[in-house]
Amino acid sequence: MSQFEVYSIGPKIQIGSFDLSFTNSSLFMVLTVSVISLFFIAATQKKSLVPNKMQLIAEMAFEFVSKMISETAGKDARPYFPFILSLFLFVLVANLLGMLPYSFTVTSHIIVTFALAFFIFVGVTLVGFARHGISYLKLFVPSGVPIFLLPLIIVIEVISYLSRPVSLSVRLFANMMAGHTMLKVFGGFVVSLGILGGWLPLGFAVALTGLELLVAFIQAYVFAILTCIYLNDALNLHH
Amino acid sequence: MAFKMKDIKELDSKIKNLSKKTRKVESESSSSSSLGIAMKLSSEMVAAVFVASLIGYYLDKWLETEPFFLIILFFLGAITGILNVVRTSKMINKE
Repeated sequence: MSQFEVYSIGPKIQIGSFDLSFTNSSLFMVLTVSVISLFFIAATQKKSLVPNKMQLIAEMAFEFVSKMISETAGKDARPYFPFILSLFLFVLVANLLGMLPYSFTVTSHIIVTFALAFFIFVGVTLVGFARHGISYLKLFVPSGVPIFLLPLIIVIEVISYLSRPVSLSVRLFANMMAGHTMLKVFGGFVVSLGILGGWLPLGFAVALTGLELLVAFIQAYVFAILTCIYLNDALNLHH
Repeated sequence: MAFKMKDIKELDSKIKNLSKKTRKVESESSSSSSLGIAMKLSSEMVAAVFVASLIGYYLDKWLETEPFFLIILFFLGAITGILNVVRTSKMINKE
């Protein structure tokens, strides 16, 4: 489908065997970042005690993420607040920009979400090792397991740990991809059924658009909260 | 008698405060949608099987023991997936 196609914009840049051309996907990532930056710059321009609408939204986003971190990962995760906030806003705004007609959804490509999830995975692992040293490996050895079951449990725990970035990225990608495909299918029904029968799928498409807005928010939230949970595992080693 | 009335009033205000708190907790926990939970659980399951099978496939390629590790790790991945689902649902219940 044409809405998922990635094509290069501007000159072709080739370094080694890598094609580093600027694509529509990169364009929308730049757009996402600039929308967030411009919004926050504008919202914090006039700092008043009684906030106007923009300042209110910015403060709400701030408080929302701050509460999420303190509830799931505790006090120790405070230094990672900027990272979680940027991550949440990036995914949220990328999802929402994808809802505009003729736009491109960055998060509907597995490579984008996997890159995000993989860097979170590496980062969390590094944080864990930096904080606990080699005893971070105790994460794979739950307490109170009989000794003859230990090899099996360790293998299972390692697989579980390694599957984190995959489940994190697949969830976001699958949700966005499925939602947009569904919208496209119902849109196709509207056209093929014409003016007589097209009203029912049109109603569905409208309802689905509303649902998609909800999904865009929920998936950004889930992505951020799971990062918090992984951070919590790395910071407070316990079982 | 008067001092007893005071006690009752104090208790009453305490109860009101506590019930306010519990109501707040309840409204917060119901905010995560069931659709999100369903997606969370299914992707957890699929990811574990996928990752384990991938590890098995490459171990086989490396050690030339086709299809030995793939089969074992596929089942281990399924076990891990179920374990992950159980853990996630326990976490959701706790919330």
